[in-house]
Amino acid sequence: MVGLSEGEQEFIKGGIAQDLRSDGRKRYTYRPIYVETGVIPQANGSARVRMGSTDVIASVKAELGRPSAMQPDKGKVAIFVDCSPTAEPTFEGRGGEELSAELSSALQHCLLGGKSGAGAGIDLSSLVVVEGKVCWDLYIDGLVISSDGNLLDALGAAIKAALSNTGIPSVHVAAEAASDEQPEVDISDEEFLQFDTSGVPVITTLTKVGKHYIVDATLEEESQMSSAVSISINRQGHICGMIKRGGVGLDPSVILDMISVANFVSRQLMDKLDSEIAAADADEDES
Amino acid sequence: MEFVSPEGLRLDGRRPTEMRQLRAEIGNVAKADGSAVFEMGNTKVIAAVYGPREVQNKSQQMSDQALVRCEYSMANFSTGDRMRKPKGDRRSTEISLVIRQTMEACILTHLMPRSQIDIFVQVLQADGGTRSACINAATLALQDAGIPMRDIVTSCSAGYLNSTPLLDLNYVEDSAGGPDVTVGILPTLDKVTLLQMDAKLPTNTFEDVMQLAIEGCIAREYQAVGMPPGFMIDSHGKGIRSYNYVPDRYKVAKMQGLLNGNVYSNPTLVS
Repeated sequence: MVGLSEGEQEFIKGGIAQDLRSDGRKRYTYRPIYVETGVIPQANGSARVRMGSTDVIASVKAELGRPSAMQPDKGKVAIFVDCSPTAEPTFEGRGGEELSAELSSALQHCLLGGKSGAGAGIDLSSLVVVEGKVCWDLYIDGLVISSDGNLLDALGAAIKAALSNTGIPSVHVAAEAASDEQPEVDISDEEFLQFDTSGVPVITTLTKVGKHYIVDATLEEESQMSSAVSISINRQGHICGMIKRGGVGLDPSVILDMISVANFVSRQLMDKLDSEIAAADADEDES
Repeated sequence: MEFVSPEGLRLDGRRPTEMRQLRAEIGNVAKADGSAVFEMGNTKVIAAVYGPREVQNKSQQMSDQALVRCEYSMANFSTGDRMRKPKGDRRSTEISLVIRQTMEACILTHLMPRSQIDIFVQVLQADGGTRSACINAATLALQDAGIPMRDIVTSCSAGYLNSTPLLDLNYVEDSAGGPDVTVGILPTLDKVTLLQMDAKLPTNTFEDVMQLAIEGCIAREYQAVGMPPGFMIDSHGKGIRSYNYVPDRYKVAKMQGLLNGNVYSNPTLVS
């Protein structure tokens, strides 16, 4: 819970109106981002992302499974988010479940595309081992350790970093299997396939406070928001998903304006993230 | 299965009385009043402390002492096989209770009446000994929050496999089904606050195993308080507050042996 006095609230709103926020940032400036990869050794890929005092971990685990009958040529990806009570005492017990569910479904919207699996940021057909029989199921788990606003963007960034860190074991399939039997597979311990993450979008949340909107809002700023729009955009500048939160309605022209701002800001975020991921991977290789 | 090789080495290359590498860091969760990360080998836990603050549920308020609460949770990715358990399963409820009782015993609750202290422990990686790792992390977080305590609780586990007492079991050793003794002590007061054991063990062997676990606790306390340079990283410059801790020479002799990778159950006294 954020407890702010009326004066503090006015200070935050006034700062945003004058393009000088409480922590000295401009409206479209992010807090410094730190990325660490390979933080969970038992996962196939993992990353920890910090934006100011927001701190999240994402891990990717791959398990062999059966593709669904509807899409025999695609693997499956599931995203789960948990909010640890370390981040906020109100997440204790079942208290974090609502936010966890909201974040999980938002991430699914932004990263996984439609029901048919088309338009997904993650290339699902690369997860198939034997069409209709064996595929990789990716379980993406996010964990919020410390929360200071903008959780969705941080989780999206952590998942992108974790995926680029993911090695999926290469699989050898025994050739002579009858058509109705489950083929025998041999999972390699040494050979790993790197995942192509160039198509994975980043999520940019624009939070509207007063007449203006800001990126990377802190918890205090989020408490003053009227509505927020999260837009996930990939390298090509395509919108991969969009969610509007908050009760207050938005003028359609404002939304279009927000999209163009998000497009511009997400490009910076993506470059920053890519260089951070590359640096983190290099760090991990060294140690 | 052979847990101790003929050369006297364990599966992960440790000697029977050797602990895993420890690492601790405080002040990781900026929003919390106190927080700590505690790692031992591949086990890694985060603890965050909120409070002392106003009691949230007024019916639980106590007029003569503080209310201490604890919640233990495991991340989905913390174990080798991915699992998704509902919150509040039996095991985590039990561990929450154990941590709460242990910390309640060392916090000076009577100094903070009508208030509440929340301890949240989150397991990031589980490789055996999560119980003791959580207690150690919770202690560090409480210190970071500046909460008055009688003493610093430290905890360590020991087991008995292949007729050898083993210090600080990892997951493979822990799941071997042998006895597992978890001990928590108040080192300066020289008191045991937590003692748990499963499986059966002859009484005289139990003494050895428990003694080993206690020595493990003392070594941890030394590492946490004595702080060899570079061991403790302080993220926001508060530093670890110790409560007039002066290690006595007997303990130091034992601990130095342990820091070099050996615990001797009958150490030579330094006179």
